[in-house]
Amino acid sequence: MNFRKVMIVFRKELMEVLRDKRTLFTTLLLPVILYPVLIIGFNAIMTRQTGVLEERGATVAIIDSVNTQISSRLIAGLEEIPNFSFIPAGDDVQGLYDAKEIQSVVTLKDSLAGDGLIKYHIYIQYDAANERSNMTYGKIFDVLEDIETELISDQLQISGISPELMNMVDVRGRDTADSQKKMGMILGMFLPYIMIIMLFTGASVVAADLVAGEKERKTLETLLVASVGRLEIVIGKFLTIITLSMLNLIVNLFSISFSLRFMLSQSGLDMAGAGMPIKAILILLAAMLPLATLFAAILLSISTFSRNMKEARTYESPLMMVSMIMAMISFLPAIEMNSLMAMIPIVNISLLFKAVMVNEYQVSHLMITILSTVVLVIIAIWGSIKLFNNEGVLMRSDDDSSSLKGIKKNRANFFTPYNGMVYFTLALLLLYYVASRWQMQDLARGLVMTQVIVIALPVFILLKVLKMKAAPVLRITMPRLKELILIPFIAIPATVIVAILAQFINSIYPFPEHYLESLGKLFEMNLPLWGSFLVVAVAPGFCEELLFRGLFPRFFQKYGMKVNIVITALLFAAFHLDPFRFVPVFLLGALLGYLTLRSGSIIHSMIAHTINNGLALLISVFSGSQIIKLVMMDSENLHYWVVIPAAIILFLALRAFHRFTERGEEICAES
Amino acid sequence: MISVQNLVKEFPKKDGSKFYAVDDVSFTANDNEIVCLLGVNGAGKTTTMRVLSTVFQPSGGTATIHGWDIRKDPDKVRENLGFLSGDTGLYNRLRVHEFIRYFGRLYSMDDKDITQRMDEMAELLDMKDFMDKKIEFLSTGMKQKVSIVRSIIHDPPVMILDEPTSGLDILTARNIISFIRSCKERGKCVLFSTHIMREAERLADRIVMIHKGKILAEGSLDLLREETGQMDLDDIFVHYVNLFSDEVEVQAHEF
Repeated sequence: MNFRKVMIVFRKELMEVLRDKRTLFTTLLLPVILYPVLIIGFNAIMTRQTGVLEERGATVAIIDSVNTQISSRLIAGLEEIPNFSFIPAGDDVQGLYDAKEIQSVVTLKDSLAGDGLIKYHIYIQYDAANERSNMTYGKIFDVLEDIETELISDQLQISGISPELMNMVDVRGRDTADSQKKMGMILGMFLPYIMIIMLFTGASVVAADLVAGEKERKTLETLLVASVGRLEIVIGKFLTIITLSMLNLIVNLFSISFSLRFMLSQSGLDMAGAGMPIKAILILLAAMLPLATLFAAILLSISTFSRNMKEARTYESPLMMVSMIMAMISFLPAIEMNSLMAMIPIVNISLLFKAVMVNEYQVSHLMITILSTVVLVIIAIWGSIKLFNNEGVLMRSDDDSSSLKGIKKNRANFFTPYNGMVYFTLALLLLYYVASRWQMQDLARGLVMTQVIVIALPVFILLKVLKMKAAPVLRITMPRLKELILIPFIAIPATVIVAILAQFINSIYPFPEHYLESLGKLFEMNLPLWGSFLVVAVAPGFCEELLFRGLFPRFFQKYGMKVNIVITALLFAAFHLDPFRFVPVFLLGALLGYLTLRSGSIIHSMIAHTINNGLALLISVFSGSQIIKLVMMDSENLHYWVVIPAAIILFLALRAFHRFTERGEEICAES
Repeated sequence: MISVQNLVKEFPKKDGSKFYAVDDVSFTANDNEIVCLLGVNGAGKTTTMRVLSTVFQPSGGTATIHGWDIRKDPDKVRENLGFLSGDTGLYNRLRVHEFIRYFGRLYSMDDKDITQRMDEMAELLDMKDFMDKKIEFLSTGMKQKVSIVRSIIHDPPVMILDEPTSGLDILTARNIISFIRSCKERGKCVLFSTHIMREAERLADRIVMIHKGKILAEGSLDLLREETGQMDLDDIFVHYVNLFSDEVEVQAHEF
């Protein structure tokens, strides 16, 4: 790589980007204008608004059903509120209140307490959803409270007791946080969110322009035929994005800092004079640099992949959503930085930011954050370089896009990965919105309905619509007997190993209590054993296999068998909507995928799946029996040593299966 | 000079089969010579030229540009090549002189040399009035001149021009034609592609006819006329296309 050429590309891109008015606006001008307007403007409007409300005053109806000296004194006190006028309540008081002619109705009543004292009850009718009525309530309440204090102190004096008695217990908190730290806490809440989003938007405007924009304007080929390597182009463009997004970040920080200083000096709070600590800003910039790099690399990949800028923006938006949600973690009060959190991108910056602002961060967290982001950056850069060297992606033009028409025209082409993902998404939505409701009404019936109606039936409907024969597409063929005999020797140890894995995960990150309860319900349905077996084992064994080992592998078969197995297993795991069992379910899915694709018969995985689910049921039902106690630690957990014989049996059975199905790959390729 | 040997470029089709955009193509273009790649739209002209300019990787065979192999030394190939096509757009936000200087620097030229060469070219192509203008404000003809200067700023020994006149009006197209001639006068090797027969007739020393990714015929206009017995290049081209289709049909019958 020739670094001089990188710099030539970088300088030119920077010049060009800075000449683009849109980029200039979003990266430099917008933040400069936005925060002062937002903070100062909002502040001004708020104070103005309260002032205006108070000036307008209110009209209040009074119902005095007591008419004593004290009630008159209370009313007299109220009448002193500036801009307030009080009217005696007539019959139409409710009508006036509804018509908002009066903002509040104050009713005075009294009662005789047990010790002979008269108690006064004052009811203030007001509309909490109406600003003016709210203000009226607040004013009346304050005045009445003041008068109450006066009345009590008068009474005490009459009884010869010092009114100071009322202040006998004087409670006061002493705040040890200095104004700097208070400021930090408030800023630490929302600043990370704003900064991460700013970083992203700043980078995305530039990134979309740099490659997708070049494709759109047909300048990419001009650059590619010039004497500059692709690596040099990528790095040059990459540096441009980082520079611009960091510049954007710095402008943002200064603008926020300035606006806050202004706001605080205006508000007269004791925080006046506290700004953002410079040291904190420098640390944050250092931590934000890797994130800016990561965004730059990912956005550059998206830009390279896209045909034009519009497409790039479309691909960017889901990423933006995810980043926003991850950045929002700073709003949650309970979550604090730890070593694990420091490894999750975006989340780590968000939490680190919060910690830095109150000056309570650990250097190790800063280091983990930077390091883990750098690792991701390297992967992302490698990806964008790969993409940039892929001529099919780089020279993609508008005309080779697949359209809906194409799908209809060519039925054989229906099985594309894209359509597979669409199908999966639809099935997931159906599961989430419809099936979960069924299961809430009646667990057993809901589960069966889910399996049959949501999972299996659409598969057959789809094939009917496509006019395809179900059996060959879904690989519903009779397997050979010697392969079939091996299935229990594969399924049982696999189930055991996966169960121990789940157990292991549970011991590190314990599953929440309510989760275990809901899982336990599966095995405690009010059904005879064979009924439970049908619901929990047989139905999923057949229906889920039809979808995940029958239909889905067809969508992804162009990637080859190995990748196909991994993709469908990932979908299988995701479909269970259960983060705690994701890894175990994924492994099981991969095994089942292997059984079907290797042998060309879905019957294998159907039986294996049924055995797996059934075994879990049997263990929970017969956990008391002597045989099962042999391998169990307690009522729920298996002994860890069981993994060894299980692994040996699984290995041997799989090796035999692999040898028996030597021909299987050909069958698979033919179909 | 350009030497193309058994060049193949295949693209994967949606259904998994392969499409041969360039299928076993061989030809040469010498220094001080203008060679025309003639073919209808979709014949494989652009793909061939993109492979020669190292934008695409060849799937089979290879080629050398001024002695440098496109597979082994793509950097050297680009250094010795001036490339111009309808797809080589300009950076609208740059001024003309900034744009040309950018490419000059990428070709590792001194700023002094760039300035000198730019002035020369501006004089020659009558561009002095708009050297300081932003490219987005230029007319098509002006832009074409900027493209020409961009492609030749480093004085490459080999020029490749892909349909350089397509989409241009007569006056602008004339600029290109005279530019191609002047390249030859300076002893450069010029390869240009077109589907306009008249352009090929007027400019080319030799014509390479390409159809469906394969070479139909190759030679000077006189040679092609002699071989086919036709005078007009249109008729010559059709003659070869028919011959080619017959061959394909015969091949199809053999199976």
